[in-house]
Amino acid sequence: MTVFSRLRHWRKRSQLDRDLQAEMDEHRQMLEDRFIREGMDAGEARAAAARRFGNTTLTAEASREEWGFRWVDTLFRDVRFAARLMAKRPAIVAAAVFSVALGVGANTAVVSVLQALLLNPMGVSDADRLAVATVRLDKLNLPKAETSGVEWRELRDMRDVFTHVAAMEGRYWTSDLGGESVRVIGRVVTPSFFDVFAVQPALGRFFDDNDREAVVLSWPTWTSQFGGDRTVLGRMMMLDGVPHRIIGVAPEHFRYPVRARVWTPLQMAASRLQKRGYNMTLTVVARLKPGVSFHQASARVNGYVEALKNDSYAQGKNYGYFVDLHGFTDFVAGDLKRTLWTLWAAALAVLFTSCASVAILLLSRTAGRRREIAIRLALGATRTQVFRQLVIESLLLGLLGGGVGIAMAAGATSILGELAVPQKELLALARMNGSLALYGLVVSLLCGFVFGLAPAVQLMRDNQAAGMARAPRRRFQSVFVAAEVAAAVVLLVTTTLLMRSFWAARQIDPGFRYEGVTTAFVLKPKNDPGFLARAETELRAAAQGPVALAYPVPFASEGLTAGFTIAGRKVQSGEPERHGEAHMVTPGYFRTLQIPVLRGRTFVDGDSADSERVCVIDSRLADEFFRGDDPLGQKIGMYGGPATIVGVVPALRATTPESRSRPVVYYALAQMNSTSTVGVLARSPGNTAPAIRAAIRRANGSVAVFDVQTLRERLDELLGTRRVVALLVLSFGGVCLLLAIAGLHGVTAQMVSERAPEIAVRLALGAEPRQILRLFLASGLTWAGVGLLAGLAAFAFAQRWIANLLFQVKASDGLAVTVACAIVMVGVAGAVWMPARRASRTDPQQVLRHE
Amino acid sequence: MASDFLPGTLDMLILKTLTRGANHGYGIAQHIQQVSEDTLRVGEGSLYPALQRLLVAEMVKAEWTTSAETGRKVRSYQITAAGRKQLAQEKREFDALIAGIARVMESV
Repeated sequence: MTVFSRLRHWRKRSQLDRDLQAEMDEHRQMLEDRFIREGMDAGEARAAAARRFGNTTLTAEASREEWGFRWVDTLFRDVRFAARLMAKRPAIVAAAVFSVALGVGANTAVVSVLQALLLNPMGVSDADRLAVATVRLDKLNLPKAETSGVEWRELRDMRDVFTHVAAMEGRYWTSDLGGESVRVIGRVVTPSFFDVFAVQPALGRFFDDNDREAVVLSWPTWTSQFGGDRTVLGRMMMLDGVPHRIIGVAPEHFRYPVRARVWTPLQMAASRLQKRGYNMTLTVVARLKPGVSFHQASARVNGYVEALKNDSYAQGKNYGYFVDLHGFTDFVAGDLKRTLWTLWAAALAVLFTSCASVAILLLSRTAGRRREIAIRLALGATRTQVFRQLVIESLLLGLLGGGVGIAMAAGATSILGELAVPQKELLALARMNGSLALYGLVVSLLCGFVFGLAPAVQLMRDNQAAGMARAPRRRFQSVFVAAEVAAAVVLLVTTTLLMRSFWAARQIDPGFRYEGVTTAFVLKPKNDPGFLARAETELRAAAQGPVALAYPVPFASEGLTAGFTIAGRKVQSGEPERHGEAHMVTPGYFRTLQIPVLRGRTFVDGDSADSERVCVIDSRLADEFFRGDDPLGQKIGMYGGPATIVGVVPALRATTPESRSRPVVYYALAQMNSTSTVGVLARSPGNTAPAIRAAIRRANGSVAVFDVQTLRERLDELLGTRRVVALLVLSFGGVCLLLAIAGLHGVTAQMVSERAPEIAVRLALGAEPRQILRLFLASGLTWAGVGLLAGLAAFAFAQRWIANLLFQVKASDGLAVTVACAIVMVGVAGAVWMPARRASRTDPQQVLRHE
Repeated sequence: MASDFLPGTLDMLILKTLTRGANHGYGIAQHIQQVSEDTLRVGEGSLYPALQRLLVAEMVKAEWTTSAETGRKVRSYQITAAGRKQLAQEKREFDALIAGIARVMESV
């Protein structure tokens, strides 16, 4: 009842206000008249009436309180006042806004990546109900392998824990989109795939059990390749020359897997469902039944596998066979998680520092505002009102800074996909959206509150005991400066460690010369048996150095993993499992990469499909399995029957420089080429990409060439995450250090100017300038020193988390810590030095004359 | 200056004053002061907020009329039916309060 009535009256408030004012005037007038009747003269009467009536303004305000929603009007008024004040001090406002923008922007940008990868991975909103199954073969050093059809069948039958279980396989096709032969990456999936993710088609439908040559488009493919045309359903799309009917389009938010352009149905042959360990190329994704926890599902699967190993699959024990369940988020972004949370912590440190920096800025201005506040208090404002207005000022500052920060973050997220890191497609998913903007808003309001608190408290205290308030203010500022220094120290130590890790990884010699080699991939044509030979000939003619065809391409992927047997050689004790990688290469491979030959020979053109099967092994295989015996002439069986070892080459780090490859068996590509994709390597100066494309086109015009990169670019991308993270933390640390230096400089400068009379007196009384210098240096450096120690302590506490990101560097590395501390101390000393020097150079006559 | 009323009694006194007839703020304050023989002096700082409160709660109505005595425009308040009901209830509560206090004071 009263609320509506209050609303009604509130709407008419300006009229009510006028009425009240007029009414009170009338009242005063009537008092005046009475006093005159009682005998006072006009002037006296007016004064007496005014006195009797009391404080009009307060009465009016108290009356207005009754109308309710007063706080809204008060809020607007405070905001307008704050805005006017800020307009008068543009420099301070700009500095503060910039600081806050940096902090909020960095934070929001990192959280946007967190959201895209961890909280809402690839548009999957209930990722905690999804699990991914992988096969682990402990004895064969295969920790996370794809599964075979058997595991899928078994999991699918566990209807007590999973509602839907789907299997998915990666595929490349050659398609004719846009008139050109292009490679299309996609996934072949069992029909329940989209049910696992609980998504609905944006257009058309998804697969059912009867679909064969059907295809579902991803949203980006539909919008970019087909122009978002709604009549696309029913049209045909060529995949490897086979027409597929387009039956549906996936919704916009669904981006799993992030590279997939299309999905086609997976029809599993019956044999695949029976032979365990056969064709292990499936990724199995399952949706947990409602009410079933991840742990329960995991336990169920583990129990099943244990029973299996005791019963029908006894060899599983020999291999160390397990089926592991992973949370979807872990599986998709697991190795990035730690990095991302570290970046988030670093961004928080920046936020923290910018708050401290703004607080210092505001504190340094409190002297000027004392008068203004004293007047307001005298005019009748309550302390609460003044305090509230001060807080509103800082909140407004925070909001402004936050707004700029959110805009900066939006800009940053839009270029994230350009970073040269392996996960750049995942990063490209990070977008500014409503919830992120809200996060930024809340953070900036919190910041505004936090950094506004100290100056507001200080100002209120100032007015109670004017002049005595300097010491606490100084202490506030010093604490904030120390905090900034601490944050800078933590970040800079982390930076030096990360940079050393990056450098260490860069320095590793992978065992072959990668500079100057350009690589590409081609999809082998289906009915062109002479293609590879022709391609090599064309390439040789086009390039100005050695060329080769190979699979895998170094730094792009690892080789085909399989177990092998060595003819006539029993397994020795202490020998590792006979499991390694197969690489298929043409004879030019070793020359192109300048890999020396240790024993025997590498391949020659004579090693063809008709001649004896040969292979070359690497020194790791030789050392671990031949132990000093001559491997040449022995036979190894890995793929396609036994092959005679004709040579030994050094072990390389071909997959990634940070870890050793498995034992490698090289086959001649002419004798074994089972993959649908083949890599091209060409050592040639300059930009070889067009030459490679032209050569392949001459060999066969319909073959798609893709992923053209130099080996150096591939290596950079592998190390890309390290580099990007190191650079980011460096820039965060740099910002913190700059803010700390600015803060310390400002505080010291202010201290110098406030104590100018005292300095002058000291100098006049015979003190040496050096002593003045030392005085200020000491006071400035003491607090900075406190900050340094606090920072080191904080780092010691946090180093456990950073340790995982490092490579060949320990988190307690003395060199890194020393370098970082040195940088901070130099910066800090410089900040204090200049004002201190100015102090020591004071001319006492000048200063004292002014007093 | 302004007496410390038990909270809420000012509203009751204003309403009671208005049952005698419409009046303006000055008149209400005068009336209370005179009838209570100077015991109760309503400061203007309490009077107007109370009047606004009663206005918003719709216990009284306000309108601008011309005063018969001075010929000037004054804002005159009138009690409403809801106001009368409120007055009756507040009087009952107040009486009960006074009786309770009296019993305590007279006990031995």
